[in-house]
This record gives sequence, C-alpha cells and structure tokens, in this order.
Amino acid sequence: MAKEMFLAGCAASAFGAKFARVEVISSYPIRPYTGVMMELSKIVANGELDAEFVHGEGEHAQVSIAYGASAAGARAYTGSSGVGVAYAMECYSPAAGGRYPIQMIIADRALDPPGDFGSEHTDVMGCRDQGWIMGWAETPQEAFDNTLIYYRIGEDPKIMLPQFCCQDGYFVSHIPGKVVLPEQSQVDEFLPPYDPPDPLDPTNPTSHGPQVYPDQGSAIDIQRAQAHLDVPKVTEQVMDDFSRIFGRTYNPFVEEYMTDDADFVFFIQGAHARTARFAVNHLRKKGVKAGMVKLRFVRPFPTEVVKECLSKFKAVGCVETSTSYGGAMKGGNLIHEVRASLYDSPKQPLVTSFMAGLGGEVVTLNEFYNMAKVLSQAIKDKKIKKYVYWLGFEKEGI
Amino acid sequence: MANVVETQNLERVKSIRRVPQEEYYVPGHRTCAGCGPALCYKLVSKAAGPESIFLGPTGCMYVANTSYLSSPFAYPWMHCQITNAGAIASGVEAAYQVKIRKGKYKGKLPNVVVMAGDGGSIDIGLQAMSGLMYRGHDVLFIMYDNESYANTGIQTSPATPYGANTTFTPPGKAIPEGKTLFPKDAPQLVIGGHPAVKYVATASVGYPVDLINKVRKALNYKGPTFLHIHSPCPKGWLFDAKKTVSVAKLAMETGMWVNYEWENGEYTYDHTPKEYKPVKEYMKGQARFAHLTDEHIAKMQAFIDAKLKAPGIPVALPVQGPRETA
Repeated sequence: MAKEMFLAGCAASAFGAKFARVEVISSYPIRPYTGVMMELSKIVANGELDAEFVHGEGEHAQVSIAYGASAAGARAYTGSSGVGVAYAMECYSPAAGGRYPIQMIIADRALDPPGDFGSEHTDVMGCRDQGWIMGWAETPQEAFDNTLIYYRIGEDPKIMLPQFCCQDGYFVSHIPGKVVLPEQSQVDEFLPPYDPPDPLDPTNPTSHGPQVYPDQGSAIDIQRAQAHLDVPKVTEQVMDDFSRIFGRTYNPFVEEYMTDDADFVFFIQGAHARTARFAVNHLRKKGVKAGMVKLRFVRPFPTEVVKECLSKFKAVGCVETSTSYGGAMKGGNLIHEVRASLYDSPKQPLVTSFMAGLGGEVVTLNEFYNMAKVLSQAIKDKKIKKYVYWLGFEKEGI
Repeated sequence: MANVVETQNLERVKSIRRVPQEEYYVPGHRTCAGCGPALCYKLVSKAAGPESIFLGPTGCMYVANTSYLSSPFAYPWMHCQITNAGAIASGVEAAYQVKIRKGKYKGKLPNVVVMAGDGGSIDIGLQAMSGLMYRGHDVLFIMYDNESYANTGIQTSPATPYGANTTFTPPGKAIPEGKTLFPKDAPQLVIGGHPAVKYVATASVGYPVDLINKVRKALNYKGPTFLHIHSPCPKGWLFDAKKTVSVAKLAMETGMWVNYEWENGEYTYDHTPKEYKPVKEYMKGQARFAHLTDEHIAKMQAFIDAKLKAPGIPVALPVQGPRETA
C-alpha cells in the first residue's frame, strides 16, 4: 500500500531514485544536494537497492561515471549543486550528444562569488544550452515524482536525453513536507527497465562518440534538437500514465493558479511558487486580480503553451532566481524565454522581470506585494518602465 | 559491490608464432606511417581479444582512428574526454558488475581497457585515472606513451623527455635545451599511491610478445592494473618512419626506457642489456634532440645513470626545477 512520509526534498529524491531502481550511482559531496546521496547510500548499505555506489573524485568524474554506466546499459544517477554543477560542464554535451539518459539531481546553489551557499538557479541555468531536459520541483512530493517522470521522458526511445532534475537548495532540499510514496509495482508499471538500443556490448560491437567531419556535425546536432521537439508529446503521454497509475495529476508544462480572471501573473519556477500562492491569495482578498503561472520545464521550453497561457493577461512579472549579466533584458533568464515566446502573439502583455531571491534570500510576501504594485502601475500606464527590477535596490522602494 | 563477478582468463602467449592471427584493430584508421601508438593499439587489441570494451580518451589515437563510419575497432569502443577516461571506465565497469549480478548480461565481465595517451593519463587525465585506481574497478588502464600531445601538433607533456624540441618547448637563445624539465614517472605515480592496484608494468612496442603477455596478465587480475607502453612517434620525434621498432629497441639498449613488472610489491626486469649504450646514440637518431649540446646530453646521461641504479625506482638527483640553481 502507498504510504506517507515526512521527507525533505533531498530524501524525497533519494527515495525517487530507489523506486526508479537506479543501477549505478555516482556521488561527490557538496552542499546542499549532499542529503540525496547520504540517504541513498543508506538505502544501498541496507540492501534495499541493488546498485553500484561509486564515489567520484569530483563532479566532472561523477557525470562521467554516470554516462559511462549509461553507455554500458545501466540506469545511472548522479547529482550536484552550485560550483559542482559548473565544474562538470565539459561532460554535459557528451552526455546529451551521446544520448545517455542519465539523471542529475540538482539542489540549486549560487555560484562564487559571493560564495554564500544560498539557493539560486544560476548554476543549472548556466548549463541550459547543452541539450538536457530541465525543470524545477516546488515541493518534496514534486521532487520525488519528477525523478520518475524525468527518467520516463528521458529514456523514451524517441528522446534519449539526460535530465537535470532540479529543486531549490534549502527551500525544497532541506524543508520537510508530506510525500506519498507509491508501491514499487506501480513504479515498475510506470517506468520500465532501461534498455538502450546500442549499449557498449562485446556481443554487438558499436562505436560511441567517434570523430566526425565538420559537414557531418550538424546532422547529429539536429537529432538532438529534434529530440527536444519531441519531448512535449512524450511528456503529455507520460503525465497521462502518471495520473492513471499514481492518481496524482500535474499539468505537464505550466501550472496556473487563480488565472481565470487575472489581470497580471507572477511567472515563476521552483520553491518560491509557494510564497507566490500566498501572495496571490492575499492580493485577491484586497481585490487585486493577481494570479500565478508556474513553469515546470525550462528545457525544452514549452513555447506554445506559454504563449497561449500568458497572452490572456495584461501584465506578466517574471520572478527570476538567476541572472544573465548583460543580456538583452538586462537581468534574469526567464524573461528572455517569455518575451521570445510572446513575440508573434497577437495579444501582447506587458512583461517585466524581478530579480528576487538571489544568493538564497527568502522572497518575502512583501516583495510579492511590491511586484504587484509595479505590475498594476504598468497596466495603468499601459507600459513598463524597465525590463528588470532588482528588489531592494530600486528608487521606488521595491 | 556484493558478489565478485567472473572475469575473462587469457592465456599466456609463448612465442611470436603463437600470437593470435585475428585482428581486432583493423584497417579504417589514418595514423601516420610507422605510428608507434597504432602498433601499440594493434598488439593490445590482439592480446585482449573480442570480449573487450575499449575506451579512448581524446588523443592522437582518437583523432587519427575514429572517423565516423570507418571505425577500426572490431569491439565496442567509446570516446571519452581527454579528462575523464578513468571515470567513464569506472562507470562502464560498475554497469557490468550490476548487469551481471542482476542477470541482465549473460557472460563474464568484459575486459575494460582504457587506451589513453600520456596527457590523458598523467596530465589532464590524472585525476580520473587516480580515482579509478583508488576505487579498485576491474579495468586495465594503458598509457601509450609517445611523449607528447601528438594530435594537436607535438606539444610538451609531463612524459616528454628533457631536452626535447616540441612546439611548446622550442629551443631558443634564452632556453637552449628546449624542454627544461625531466618527465614524471607514471608507473611510480600509480604504484606509490593506490593500494587497490596489484599489477603495474612497462612495455614497449619493440617487444611485442612481452607486451601481449603483460596485457593479458594485467587483464587476468581482478581489479585495476596499469601499463605504461613506450610507443615511438616518427612525426613527433622526427625519425624515419621505418625505424619505429629499432628506435623502441634502442631506447631499451641505452636505458632511456626500462621494461619491468611490479606485481604485488615485487619488481622484475626484462630485456635489460649487459651493458648500456650511451644515450647520445638514442638522441642522435631523433631530430627533436638535434639542438642539444654535449653539456645537455651529459645532463640527460646523468639522469639516466642515476635512474638505472634502481630502474623503476624514483631518483632524487640531478633533476632541477626551473626555479632552482645548481
């Protein structure tokens, strides 16, 4: 029978890996994701999961061990945080280009400097163009479920892509919440064993990753791009199966909250969506027509869904937990994706962004109310003043 | 790592006539004429046989061998980054351990062989190689040593001999000897710091039967093993392409290369000449040393003499770093 446990995000992810019957695990310690491997190593030590637990000598090795194992036909699991994610950068493209659907659990952390260990999406966002599937969990339950969902999508024969399965450091990774754990048989029905078409196998020799001539490169790149185009369809199928088998439903790409008659929405991903919901509730009580749209995948970015969803509103405030220094929109990453998605929409909401929660700062309810003021004013003025507001550093006091 | 899975058991080859006829490193590559590393690949492949998985980090043997759709490898082969062959090999071995344990793969553990160049082993690849050795994966890590980064146009590596002219250590007025540093000792790096390693050996493409048997012996060990294989490079060392084997043999005759095995703490030396020829004879055959003066050659000779007092054992003298003075 399914049972409930009170688990922090790290432990929830470790349980997800256990239920996914991962076969090779590679670890290296860095806060705050370390809790995943601490829990998983206990599970392996107690004989509850038959897996090889390999202690990598660094994150670069961790990812290499995982994709080597995946190439040899095992379901591989690894993870990291912050500068660790950055250190393994060289290995992301080979893992995606080689079509090894490994999963990397990320509990986000700011890069150095300022070295504040805080939660920030900058680590993984810096790797978003390598061809990995990626998205954020808001709760430990979502972290658990995403582990299974991401493997299922990534290992689909049409897709075969690795996945950054992300959660905000501390806000999700270290704060316990209720997690419903399924029966193993349910997971086995949802997630079949990993069976790659051409693993490294002496009975069927194949070459992985040979050199190509320049004119052959794009023919391989386009397949990786095509796989990303195929992800949405596969995701819909996976979500159908997920709700049928586990009785829990997620909207595959974006989750809307109080959007039916909203004038403006907070566009957000990850842990701070919880605070955003409270803020929306409060604003509604005051008669402000606020709503929230939570993004579940950043890669592949659900362009059409976002376009259709956000076109309905008068204004959109992207709540950014990562920066793109010197970017076209002068601040965060989400606003680039949102404005690009809306470019050819006949209805154009006003779009601005708020740098919030960098370095792991809590994004407070007051800050959401201030964002609401800016968005309401923009609707009144029918224009936005700036692409980006740095909360706490603005003249207008937001 | 609950149960130890069954591994391959390869027989010793008694003479050159008994070397297997089958080729597993087949036409389809484009290495230079007289390529020592290619000869090394050929011999190692013969020794390991088809029940193998080869891993090739970036290096000249990746660049020259693997053109898409014309792979010369008749066994599963995978490219690694130059940095991570040890880690990928660990993953492959771990995957087979668990697959065999779960009955997903029927058969013995394949021979997992890394073919890394000197840079991919003891320079940028050192961390991953050391991690593999430390964790005790059942992998043979081979460092085919052509004493330079050869795929990028002959740049210095930690295996490049003192005095060599490479594109990063050209001789000039201020630095007349070219490379000023003496090389790292790869086998000693492995022996010295990795308790899980039971077998380390050096071999040379000039002595093929010995090389094949060392590969087989290494593969028969359960756990990590390391081979350092001298593989002369006509293009990088600038000698006549038909002389690869004789250059390899001359290295042995002058003490520039020593063949030995280290097995559970015991050293055995092979192919040791009764009397060593002067290193000058070895150096004069290669244009990479053409700029050296007698003084430089004497410095090299002193290094070799000291090393030969205890081959394989690191020596303290007369090596000076660039910041030291005599």
